[in-house]
Amino acid sequence: MSLTPEELERYDRQIGNGVLTEPQQAKLKSSTVLVTRVGGMGGPAAQMLAMAGVGKIIIAHGGEMISPDLNRQVLGSEAVLGQPRAEHFAEYLRTMNRFIEVEAMAHEPDDDEADELARRCDLIVSCPPTFEERLRLGRAAFAAGIPLIDAAQWGMTGTLIVLKPGETISLDQLYPQAPPFEEFFPVVGAISCATGALAALEAIKILSGAGTPLIGKMLVYDGFHARSNILDLGTPP
Amino acid sequence: MKIRVTLTGRSYHAASQLPPEIELADGAKLSDALNHIGELLPDDAPLPASCLIALGGQHVGSVFSHEDVELSDGQELTLVAPVAGG
Repeated sequence: MSLTPEELERYDRQIGNGVLTEPQQAKLKSSTVLVTRVGGMGGPAAQMLAMAGVGKIIIAHGGEMISPDLNRQVLGSEAVLGQPRAEHFAEYLRTMNRFIEVEAMAHEPDDDEADELARRCDLIVSCPPTFEERLRLGRAAFAAGIPLIDAAQWGMTGTLIVLKPGETISLDQLYPQAPPFEEFFPVVGAISCATGALAALEAIKILSGAGTPLIGKMLVYDGFHARSNILDLGTPP
Repeated sequence: MKIRVTLTGRSYHAASQLPPEIELADGAKLSDALNHIGELLPDDAPLPASCLIALGGQHVGSVFSHEDVELSDGQELTLVAPVAGG
C-alpha cells in the first residue's frame, strides 16, 4: 500500500532517521488495530495511533461519559457528558486524521466478539478496567496469532505488557490468579496519558518494524516515587 | 545475606514501609523473603496473591504460584502488585 503526497506531507516529521522509513509508514497505513477501552489510557493510545497514521482503528467502549471521567479521558469533553462515549470518541479521532478509518463499537466485546475482532486486526491494545476483560482480549489475541499490548494504571503508577503468541507467555500464564475487580480505583490523568502513549509507541514499532519492541517484558512506572522497572516475562513453558 | 527489595504496582503506596534491603540467613529461600516482607507490611496492605515476583528482573511467578528457589546475596527482588485500571 503506497502513500499519497498528502499523506507523506502529514507524516513528514515521523519519516526519517531514528523514526520510520517510508515503507514502514506504509505498513502503518495497511494496519488495523483494536483499542478497548478508550478511556484514560486507550483514549490517548487511540489518538496517537490515529495521528501516526494507522490505517484502521477499531475502538470499543460502552456507557456514557460522566464528570469524573474528564480527569483523564482525553477523547471526551464537557460537551459529551451524559452521552454515549464510543461514537463521539470515534468522531473526534476522525477529526484528527482524514486519511484513516475509525470504527466504533458502543460496548465491550464478549468472548465471541473479541475473537472475531482479533481476526480482523493486526494487534490489540488492551486498556479495560477489569482483569476479566484483559484476559479475554489476551486469549483472543493469542487465538488469532497477533500481539497483545496490555496497559493498566492505578493511582500514579502504570504498567505496560507486550506479549506475542509463540514468543512469550500468555496473559493467563502471567496471572494464574486474577486480582479482583476494583471499580473506583484512584488515578491521575497524567499517568493514564503517559501509559497510553507508550502503548501506542509499542504498537507503532511492532506494526511498522521500527525499533525494538518491549515484547516479552513488563514496564512498570511508579510515578509517585519516580522510578521504573522492566521485568523479563520469559518464554512459553 | 542481603536482598534488595522493590515493591511497586498497586502496592506502591506501601513501599515506604519496606527498607531497600532485607537481611536473611544464608541459604534462605524466596518464601523466607516473602514471609519477612509480609511481617514488615501493614496488616491492611498485605501482598496480594496475584502479586508478580521477579528475581534479578526475571519473572519467576506470583505470590500465589512460584518455585521456592534459594536466594543469593545481593539479589534483587521485585514485587509488582497488579494494576487493572483502564
